[in-house]
Amino acid sequence: MKAEYSFENGEITVFLHGDLDEYGAGKIKDEIDQTISSHPARAFVFDMKDVAFVDSTGLGFLLGRYKKLRAKRAELLVKNVNPQVDKVFKTSGVYSFVPKID
Amino acid sequence: MKDYFKLEITAESKNEAFARATVASFSLALSPTLEEIGDVKTATSEAVTNAVVHAYRGGEGIIEIIGEIDAKENSLTVTVADFGCGIEDVERALEPFYTTKQDDERSGMGFTIIDTFTDEMQVSSTLGAGTTVKFKKVFKKC
Repeated sequence: MKAEYSFENGEITVFLHGDLDEYGAGKIKDEIDQTISSHPARAFVFDMKDVAFVDSTGLGFLLGRYKKLRAKRAELLVKNVNPQVDKVFKTSGVYSFVPKID
Repeated sequence: MKDYFKLEITAESKNEAFARATVASFSLALSPTLEEIGDVKTATSEAVTNAVVHAYRGGEGIIEIIGEIDAKENSLTVTVADFGCGIEDVERALEPFYTTKQDDERSGMGFTIIDTFTDEMQVSSTLGAGTTVKFKKVFKKC
């Protein structure tokens, strides 16, 4: 799992690459948390175009980042979600905390 | 005789991708849709993660995965067994959002996802001996 970042108008887009499971989430968590704590932003957008797979560990990862950002009064959004990922997100109701944008 | 495979992996999170890819490949004999393949991969991942994270708590262990095809029914049954610590209260573990590792950012949705994404799920566990998660996916015939 890898992440790349782009900064624009107080919004940070995080391009995630890889599977967001126990292994992948563990690899990327600290790095993303460092970015969250060192870069003030209005919103973080996780671009999931290159995430082929998410399971409940990925959900926990997403909710963990959501809580960290909420504590800083920032939003977390997701975009470019593939059908498998979308089904996991819908089943868990995560979109009511972390909205999906186009 | 039913067509089956049996796989043993060390309980490491990096092996989850291998486990779900193996189960997905095995299911191809049943001509699943993309969505059905995704369901089987997700359910497998949840069961294997449960063994890695909860049964062995990140320590050493073996996970056994068996896949079995019922050609008549066009279904795949997957059994994921560990020989770890076992689940104290299975009924509780099956509740959505229930987790024993709240501080660890676990979503508590693992079993709920298996249950939702498959047609049948059984979880049996003995404290100190291990847990077996079994699920069945019936593939629609086109």
